[in-house]
Amino acid sequence: MKRRIVPWLMVLPVLALFLAMTIYPFGFMIWASFRDYDLSKSAETHFIGLSNYFQIFRDSTAIESMKFTVKLLAIAVPLELVLGVLIAFLIRGVKGEKIIRSSLLIPMMIPPAVSGVAWKMLYNFAFGPVNWFLSFFGVPKISWLGDPFYAQLGIIIIDIWQWTPFIFLMIYAGLQSIPQDLIDAARVDGADWGKVFLHVEFPLLRPLILVALVLRIIDCLKTFDIVFMTTWGGPGSATHTYSFYIYKIGISFGWNIGYASALSVLLLIVAIVLVNVVFRLVRMRQQLGFGGEE
Amino acid sequence: MKRLFLVVFLVVAALIFSVKISVLCSPDNADALKWLAQEFMKQNPDIQVEIVPLSWEVLYPKLLQDLRSQAGSFDAFTYDVMTTGAVSFGLVDLGEFMKQHPELVPEDYDLDDFIPQVLEESGKWQGRLIGLPFYNNTMLFYYRKDLFEDPKIKQAFKEKYGRELTLPTTWEEVVEIAQFFTKKYNKNSPTEYGIALMFPRTHTLFYMYLLFFGEYRNAPLGIMRHGTADLEYGEYFTADHKPAFNSEEGLKALEMMKKLMPYSPDPLGSDYGETIEYFNQGLVAMVPQWTGPYLIFKNTLGEDKVGIIPMPGRSVSGQWALGINKFIPEEKKIAAFKFIVFATSKWADKNKFLRFAVAPARISTLKDPEVRAADPRVPALEVTYVTQTHRPRIPEEPRLEDITVETFSKILSGELPLSMETLNDLAKKWEEILGK
Repeated sequence: MKRRIVPWLMVLPVLALFLAMTIYPFGFMIWASFRDYDLSKSAETHFIGLSNYFQIFRDSTAIESMKFTVKLLAIAVPLELVLGVLIAFLIRGVKGEKIIRSSLLIPMMIPPAVSGVAWKMLYNFAFGPVNWFLSFFGVPKISWLGDPFYAQLGIIIIDIWQWTPFIFLMIYAGLQSIPQDLIDAARVDGADWGKVFLHVEFPLLRPLILVALVLRIIDCLKTFDIVFMTTWGGPGSATHTYSFYIYKIGISFGWNIGYASALSVLLLIVAIVLVNVVFRLVRMRQQLGFGGEE
Repeated sequence: MKRLFLVVFLVVAALIFSVKISVLCSPDNADALKWLAQEFMKQNPDIQVEIVPLSWEVLYPKLLQDLRSQAGSFDAFTYDVMTTGAVSFGLVDLGEFMKQHPELVPEDYDLDDFIPQVLEESGKWQGRLIGLPFYNNTMLFYYRKDLFEDPKIKQAFKEKYGRELTLPTTWEEVVEIAQFFTKKYNKNSPTEYGIALMFPRTHTLFYMYLLFFGEYRNAPLGIMRHGTADLEYGEYFTADHKPAFNSEEGLKALEMMKKLMPYSPDPLGSDYGETIEYFNQGLVAMVPQWTGPYLIFKNTLGEDKVGIIPMPGRSVSGQWALGINKFIPEEKKIAAFKFIVFATSKWADKNKFLRFAVAPARISTLKDPEVRAADPRVPALEVTYVTQTHRPRIPEEPRLEDITVETFSKILSGELPLSMETLNDLAKKWEEILGK
């Protein structure tokens, strides 16, 4: 009997922590999503079924925030992927590689809230360095944060600047782990730079690229800080990301915990589906050696 | 040795028997409150006051979250006038508290000395006194005095528009002057742009609209259509609490905002900080701003270059009051009460204005000869305090604000047409939120 209890006692603190920090909030979110739970009116709640979920599809701002999030996902993530891979390959063996490598990681190390403030100053219409730089090419001053198109572009640029180093880091680490004798053997067989990349390096890096892609998709769906610090979702709803809208509904403006929970549950479902689609599309499960049904 | 023991004993006793209170506040008034806390602790060594500044975006959610959960994690706080309705349930009824503890109210603490409208708007909710006015913020119209008084510039203006360059009293006049001071329309203009406007997606746009709407809403025709606004619902509503902006007056306000935009640097992308900087750096000739930035302008441009007049249309109130958390123990309530009474006393009101530019809430401060001689804002404040407009204070205000700013932002950026239909759609959304 003692033997059975001791392991449980050892695991219990961690289990309790896990339940309190993860399972309880998750369960609370699901529970709240079916209720009319608005803190600006009262802390009391009542069951309203799927109303909060139906509300999402009648809410034009929610739809617009979904659209911008998809745009961010569709433009920023692929570009980060291409740039990250390209940079990792290009700096390999270059003189001053270590310095370049360290410098490239700086954007990723700056907290998004801080980089948001910095970019807000960079984008400043009158005194910002971005417009100042563009003026040398005869480009008239751009309202980076006040024009719907440029505001969206501005957020995408910040995301690419901040997260390309993440892809680069993963690919660069992967490149270091590729056995040199494999590359040498390919070269002996007459393969040029392109063939070595296509037939040796890329296949070996593919699992890493896919992991990086999945992590960026999840992260991108949660984009919040940059929008909070630069555009506050504007002008109009142009730069509302879905996560930012959840924050506004649940905390900043709405205090509608029920509706914010329903929005969050939907985000969770979308993230799970999207990640699984990516896994399936590229048959990553098989490559990584788990799942195995394919 | 005995002295050392005595000192140690007194320090330990002070630590053991002192009450510590934490006061949450907006960064705008944090410096003044910190200074007042130091002064208060000198007079009340048995009470420790900790001032915790939080940005507007964080302060309000934190207040609401804490009050709803009744956690009592702070003791007193400054609240924005527009959040009065939402936080009122968690505030101590100060009227009742004063009746129960008359000994805690100093003899010279005169409630009637507060500007009546200010006490009503920021201190009261549905007849109860829930806060004491601390920061009677309002918007003023700043202009470059040196440019407006320059004979050459005045002559050039007269030649172009056929009238004297006078200080604007209406937005129509502002449009003309702003055009004159914009290089694109007048290559000899000493400034790049005429006016700095802040119409971003943040809550700024919600109150900026009232600068324009207030003029039409409170004109005789506006009053005839919508009735007089009350202090709980403000000018956004009619007298019988229906949306008032979906009207001729509402359209006119947005039209005027659009008319001014070409003469402003990046109006949709600029907020509080940017517009202050545009004026401070000499990029613009005029800027509507709150009372606080005056010190920045004065220190950078110089007192002789900064002119202040009441808003050409109508100003908007942005008051902050000090209240006490209802869900804290009695001894903390008493300590917090002593502090907020001290921080809103006649002495504090005068000194926080002179030292920190925290706008006064008391009649005695406005009448004080020393204050009048020291600060050029007083005449403009006196006019503004009786003519300014008001935002809704009802609990639904934040949500109404967000959807309104979204629509207005889209109208100003050209994404939505500036039409009655657009405003009616917004009014429908308001009614849904209000459950009408």
